[in-house]
Amino acid sequence: MLFRRIYQFLIVYIIGILLLLMIKTGLSLSDYVIPGVALIVETAGEVTKEYFFDVLNTLSVAVLGQALSIALAFTIGIAGRKSSWVGSFIKVTAYNIQAYPIVALAPIIFILLGDGFITRLLIASMICYFPLLLSVLGIMATPVEDIEHFYNVTGRMRWQLEVKIRAFENLSKLTTVISGSATLAMAGTIVGEFIAANAGIGYSIRIALYQSDLAKILVALFMIGIIISIYQGFLETIGEQIKTKWSISNGGEVL
Amino acid sequence: MRKSIFSILFFLLVFVFAAQSFAKASQVNYRLKWLFNTSVAGDIYADAKGYFKDAGLKVTVKEGSPEKNAINELELRYADFGVASADQVIRALDKGAEIFVIAQLFQVNPMQWIYRRDKPEIKTLQDLRGRNIGITFGGNDETIMNTLFAKADITKKDVIITGVRFDFTPFFKRKVDVWPVYRNSQGVILKDRLAREGEDVYFFNPADFGVNFVANSVITSQAMLKKSPDIVEKFLNALLKGWEAAMDPANEAHTLEVVKKLDKGNKDVIRKKQLNATRSLIKPSASVKIGTINMEAWKQTEEMMLKEKQIKKPVNITTRLIQIK
Repeated sequence: MLFRRIYQFLIVYIIGILLLLMIKTGLSLSDYVIPGVALIVETAGEVTKEYFFDVLNTLSVAVLGQALSIALAFTIGIAGRKSSWVGSFIKVTAYNIQAYPIVALAPIIFILLGDGFITRLLIASMICYFPLLLSVLGIMATPVEDIEHFYNVTGRMRWQLEVKIRAFENLSKLTTVISGSATLAMAGTIVGEFIAANAGIGYSIRIALYQSDLAKILVALFMIGIIISIYQGFLETIGEQIKTKWSISNGGEVL
Repeated sequence: MRKSIFSILFFLLVFVFAAQSFAKASQVNYRLKWLFNTSVAGDIYADAKGYFKDAGLKVTVKEGSPEKNAINELELRYADFGVASADQVIRALDKGAEIFVIAQLFQVNPMQWIYRRDKPEIKTLQDLRGRNIGITFGGNDETIMNTLFAKADITKKDVIITGVRFDFTPFFKRKVDVWPVYRNSQGVILKDRLAREGEDVYFFNPADFGVNFVANSVITSQAMLKKSPDIVEKFLNALLKGWEAAMDPANEAHTLEVVKKLDKGNKDVIRKKQLNATRSLIKPSASVKIGTINMEAWKQTEEMMLKEKQIKKPVNITTRLIQIK
């Protein structure tokens, strides 16, 4: 799982670089517009260490933002799973708010909170929260009739049990959604860093943009891609392990 | 019969190609560095008053922005002329770009620092010690300030450096004392806003302390200079005529009128103040001809960038500066 993610990223990255080099050669562009391989390698030698720690910095904020979003999405998703007026209200509100481009609020957050950690965290959480919430709401609001029916007719159904059944039956979907939201959290953090930060890889990319230094940006993209692939692979592996642990064939302890 | 059809087709093709190349030769794209406002008044004026048309050119003046880069567009052939700052030009030359500077628009760099009058005036560079100074990391203000620090033997421990962006809140909240601004655009707006709060400001101009970092200049590609020197000359003459007219106080009303059509974001009173500020940077005295390339300032800019490791090797900038008469 982990290695497949990295291979996939490397293939996409190399194809992208080759396309850029083809354009560079075809249009006889200087290294200022599109850097050559030598310049990319030279730049990588200069900034890899710095960018590695920048990406880790960004990732730490993204992971925290994602954890907050997951906790909040599950809380709201579980509360909104019922077909009562509260549930309907939560669902309608979530669907309407998610239609708004949250990233447009980033400058307001920046003005109110200034630059720094909290602003980055908030923007990251907001960007990955709504897609997560909609998926969790969808999963939690859909009954697993085959299993739930038994507990309903025997009067043994509790809300905790209902949530567990629905989560277990949709574990693959949840793992995919959570793993996907890691990319969103990372993108959100980088956007936050573009606008309102003094640290992280988004901030370093912005500085490189000021200097029109595409070689630095390409190195930054490589570092982001590799580290996010490892993180996503890690999440997917954990998802698989939880699935195996919860599996009925292993004793069905979960219920 | 077949022969005559081929002959007609051949002549038609020749005619179409000839017409196309003629049309292309007289049609040029000009990419500005910044948004349409009074800091590009001369460019707007030359276009609006038909100076390009009179020179036989069809010029499309394109608005700039932080994301748009005239040098990239010259190489990609989206633009024939552009405006770029000296640091952009020198960086591009360091990476092998084939570009030339054909006019220097700003004689005084608009990149300056604003600070409140209730703080002691910065009369010498030593007065920077202990202040909280805003710097755009990666921007040319960082290079300029580092040069000033080096000149005054000021280390990073002697001052507080704060990274800044477009939002002025930290300056308004007094978290940062000395804030980088473009003197003729943001500087005017900030000064006006603070004046309404009963506060007055000073501007700290690095040029007053011997640091002349060149700002915006007109650039073109080597290919354009080689293939169409006549177009380069016509374009530049029309452009500089536009700038001279726009900066002439006698034409102030006309200039503000043409700028207003494109710059809707500012009030009339601000635009007027911005125009006055721009005038003093573009044409600091009546004897200065707009477009004059200050060779010494360019050399100093290159030295600063080399010292700051912004470029890897000398680019011999003077070989890329062409003062067209």
